[in-house]
Amino acid sequence: MLVFIIRRLNLFFFTMLLLTLLTFSLSFLFPGDPLVNLSGQINATPQQLEQLKLAYKSDQGIMQQYFAYLSHLAEGDLGLSMASQTQITSEIINLLPATIELSLIALMLAMFVGIPLGFIAAVNHRKTADNIILSVAMLGYSVPVFWLGLVAILVFSIQLGWFPSAGQLSLVYEIEHVTGIQFIDILLSDSVYKWQAFRDASAHIVLPACVVATAPATIFIRLARSSMLAVLETHYIKAARAKGLTFRQIIFRHAVRNSLLQIIRHIGLQFANLVTIAMITEVIFSWPGIGRWLIESIYQRDYTGIQSGLLVLSTFIFIVHIVTDFIYAALNPLAREHNHGTS
Amino acid sequence: MNLLDIRNLSIELVSGNKPILAVDRVSLCMKEGEVRGLVGESGSGKSLLAQAIVGVLDDKWQVDADRFHWRGTDLLRLSLEERKAIISKDVAMIFQEPMACLDPTTTIGEQLEEAVDSRQLSGYFWQKRQQRKAAAIKLLHKVGIKHHEFCIRSYPHQLTEALCQRVMIAIALATRPVLLIADEPTAAMESSNQGQIFRLLASLNQLKNMSILLISHDLENVTHWTNTITVMYSGQFVEAGTTEQIFNHPFHPYTRALVDSSPKANMLLPAKSRLMTLPGSIPILQHLPIGCRLGPRCPRAQQACVQAPKVKNHHGHQVSCHYSLKDTY
Repeated sequence: MLVFIIRRLNLFFFTMLLLTLLTFSLSFLFPGDPLVNLSGQINATPQQLEQLKLAYKSDQGIMQQYFAYLSHLAEGDLGLSMASQTQITSEIINLLPATIELSLIALMLAMFVGIPLGFIAAVNHRKTADNIILSVAMLGYSVPVFWLGLVAILVFSIQLGWFPSAGQLSLVYEIEHVTGIQFIDILLSDSVYKWQAFRDASAHIVLPACVVATAPATIFIRLARSSMLAVLETHYIKAARAKGLTFRQIIFRHAVRNSLLQIIRHIGLQFANLVTIAMITEVIFSWPGIGRWLIESIYQRDYTGIQSGLLVLSTFIFIVHIVTDFIYAALNPLAREHNHGTS
Repeated sequence: MNLLDIRNLSIELVSGNKPILAVDRVSLCMKEGEVRGLVGESGSGKSLLAQAIVGVLDDKWQVDADRFHWRGTDLLRLSLEERKAIISKDVAMIFQEPMACLDPTTTIGEQLEEAVDSRQLSGYFWQKRQQRKAAAIKLLHKVGIKHHEFCIRSYPHQLTEALCQRVMIAIALATRPVLLIADEPTAAMESSNQGQIFRLLASLNQLKNMSILLISHDLENVTHWTNTITVMYSGQFVEAGTTEQIFNHPFHPYTRALVDSSPKANMLLPAKSRLMTLPGSIPILQHLPIGCRLGPRCPRAQQACVQAPKVKNHHGHQVSCHYSLKDTY
């Protein structure tokens, strides 16, 4: 297990190194002065430029420049935003939790809806239930997310008026910013209207979370279905039937656990996809997250913002990836416990 | 009274445009306390027949039989659930690859405990849990595993192939079966481990009077342990009789060839000479010959062989051949 952890951390380290190399090289590839691209100070006076040159060591070799950039990253200094001339780090700290909240809730939603549906489809293989679930999954997968978001707003917030169409929380509630994750902040606050605020925040997240979750849920349906079908074909299921267990016992005791293991491996991969969808959805629903901010900085040619947003989002996706790897190892005895005699 | 009496059991593969008759009217009869070998090449439908008896075949296989009696009760008259209840209570099966037949994510202990028949237990559920544990440990002792704490905590991939097969046998014994079907229990195992497994099966047969249907592709290996043998070829019944009858006086040309192909059986064979084999190989399911399926390979085949022969009984020695070797002895 220790070797496993060291391996993952090693992978994390080198991937981060490559990622910073990429963002560092972006400052040279973007039009304009690399120094301005890195620091984001577009209106700097000549003296300030001299100071920046010293800080980023841009008169020295490329390796020194890279290490200077790394040390700035390590201090949490991502430069100024070219568009708003504010510290990017503080903007990201304000915005990233909203994205984490939205994408994690959407992931949970996709898993809790998709995986059981996939299992139901596999158990009723080639029957009506299977066909219905599969065609719904096909439909959900092929619907474009921006269209789905707009239609959802049109139907559920404009025509039916069930859910609000934009934002994270109604402006009437004043919630102190502690962790940035809205639900935790609401629960931590001592406002009298805590529970009303909680209900309002839940109403706000329903539509965007459902829209984000649609495509991953359909992928989970298909993943769960195929892995359950593969498990049901195996010898140990046949042996369990010969043992005299009922179908229910076989499914719940043996089949579900084994097929879940196969699905967990794919969650990390699907998460990158989900975050991309979440970025578009944030724009549609005016969700104050980092995805919307990143797309806006692309529009405004905020090169520093693009660099830092890229770095932060990739790191987030990669951390989730590694966490799912650990969950997989914790659940799977084959990855966790070594064979006797092989050690 | 016979323990198991199967007459003309056929298994059809229904997928595709034309159904394929994988097992063609095979009969099998077993007495109490008997060890019967079921011998044939790979692809001759032995495993299919065994799985059809236990009832674990997929939907794509269709099973028909003229008669299927278990200890005198006609199972064909019962509903699917009743049949399954009787079979899973009295018949147990062990498979070829023991490691693949144990759930890789569940400990051996849990898998053993869930196999223990709840009818053997008494009391409230917390007492039952204890009894289940005790029963699992007892089962492991029965199959000769002494370090039960160690084994119960292990996952299947942590044990050797032979230990896994012992665990499979322990699971099979959990319901106290009358008949144990062993489908090539020692395939892919070293010969010393093979001997252990066979000795364990033999002792279970002698001590508990448990009948065993031993499926194997190796006639020579099986003869030490069996009382009677049934031979199959390409899904058809070939010959059945006591081990001595089959081994010393085979009536069917195919059995003759099987016996001749083993160096132990014909000691007269001069050194460095070729072993007797039939030309060709077993036909694939898509291109089965009509009539007797051995026809194209049989040295004694004649025109009548395009009709499937009827089973003839000579003092308990059954053979299915138009030109049996009976008169040559």
